[in-house]
Amino acid sequence: MKELKNIIIVFFALMVSLSAFSQAKKPTIMVVPSDNWCVKNNFMTVYDNMGTRMKIPDYRAALQESTELLNVISKINEMMTERGFPLKNLESVMKTLQSQSAEDAMLTSKTGADANESPIDKLKKVAKADIIMQLTWSVNQTGPKRSITFNLQGLDAYTDKQIAGASGTGQPSFSAELPVLLEEAVLAHIDNFNAQLQKHFDDLFANGREVSLRVMTFSSFNGDLESEYDGKELSEIIETWVSDNSVKGRFSLTDATENTMLFEQVRIPLYDASNRAVDTRGWARDLQKMLADRYRITAKLMTRGLGQAQLVIGEK
Amino acid sequence: MKKTAKVLSLFLILFTCFGVTVAGQNKKADKDTRNWVYEIEPVGVGTQGSYLIKVWSYSKKPIVAIEQAKKNAVHGIIFKGFTGIQGVPGQRPLTNNPNLEVEQAEFFKNFFAEGGKYMKFVNITNDGSVAAEDRLKIGKEFKIGVVVSVNVAGLRKDLEDAGILRGLNSGF
Repeated sequence: MKELKNIIIVFFALMVSLSAFSQAKKPTIMVVPSDNWCVKNNFMTVYDNMGTRMKIPDYRAALQESTELLNVISKINEMMTERGFPLKNLESVMKTLQSQSAEDAMLTSKTGADANESPIDKLKKVAKADIIMQLTWSVNQTGPKRSITFNLQGLDAYTDKQIAGASGTGQPSFSAELPVLLEEAVLAHIDNFNAQLQKHFDDLFANGREVSLRVMTFSSFNGDLESEYDGKELSEIIETWVSDNSVKGRFSLTDATENTMLFEQVRIPLYDASNRAVDTRGWARDLQKMLADRYRITAKLMTRGLGQAQLVIGEK
Repeated sequence: MKKTAKVLSLFLILFTCFGVTVAGQNKKADKDTRNWVYEIEPVGVGTQGSYLIKVWSYSKKPIVAIEQAKKNAVHGIIFKGFTGIQGVPGQRPLTNNPNLEVEQAEFFKNFFAEGGKYMKFVNITNDGSVAAEDRLKIGKEFKIGVVVSVNVAGLRKDLEDAGILRGLNSGF
């Protein structure tokens, strides 16, 4: 009896783990106002970057001061949640980053040790998502009539490609208030945007996830990407591995020098041989392991989200 | 007695003929729907989760065209989509599979049957009254434009639940 019970438990555990593996890694999406909107509405902040005045969008001020922006983001979030795809909320992400930063500054162990944080870790502490829904609108006024020109762009954070978009100008109105016109614009465009997003996901399931991989070398590395191993240049070894491990060998080697290689439009499979969901980190880790096992080359692997990896050869 | 029987027989024949004619008209209207013989244009931006559209249907009897408009509206939103007008964007069809209607023929036969499930997602506005400019006589037929509201969110959810359409989050 006990044995039967154990078999049932193992069977259910197996079922649960199998169903977990069969799900691809879900991209995160976040709505962000465009730089253009931030400039036009004076939500920019200026800082001095080693003598050059740089203007960057001030999202915190925009969210605190523009009720229209908050309403539009809220409406888009609401409609995407209805479609079973809840979005990351920009305001919440920024608040979490702020509180995490405060907590990290105060974090000490019982013996008084601080939490480790490299300059790269600090740089990576920004609001991010795999797909950015970039939002822009402007109000057009013709005499007493007003209309809204609305533009929603879905941008892949790793390939920089626009994967979905919806834009247009709504019907002019004498009497409708701005929030009503904006709500109408969201309602009018969100389905077309989602239809294109669905196409992008269908393509992802059919042809693999599109990612980018950057290979670099540390100055401490004894050699470069043109150094030969078993009669082949290191860059050739890496290129062959990428070709063998991408879906249908699809990739572009955009830049290649003795120090750096940039692979773009690399289609990686969504699942590995054991049907486990794969992201760029898992995929590039196999390259890192191959270099270590076959050629005794150590490399440091860094990733950004689901779709961007950087392998720096020489040490960890 | 004989006279009453005669009147009754005549009445029955007339009634049957009328029924056959209406059934024939309905069959023709269904065939038109399957053959995409209808046109859709947006009227305005609907409320959340719905489209407000005008459907142009063809029939010898205006009443048949008005009734068929509901079926055409749902059919068009699933398979055809519609182009926009000034200020109101067009919408793509719910499916991007051009063969879906054939692949799921059995499902859609039941879905679009008389009194089928499609009725749940469509409402005729203004109680089906048709504006004079939306009632056109073309040859022997009428071309009737009826404004309907389609609950697209509900329709999409229903088709996703039935496994006919892929949800945005399916596979993740």
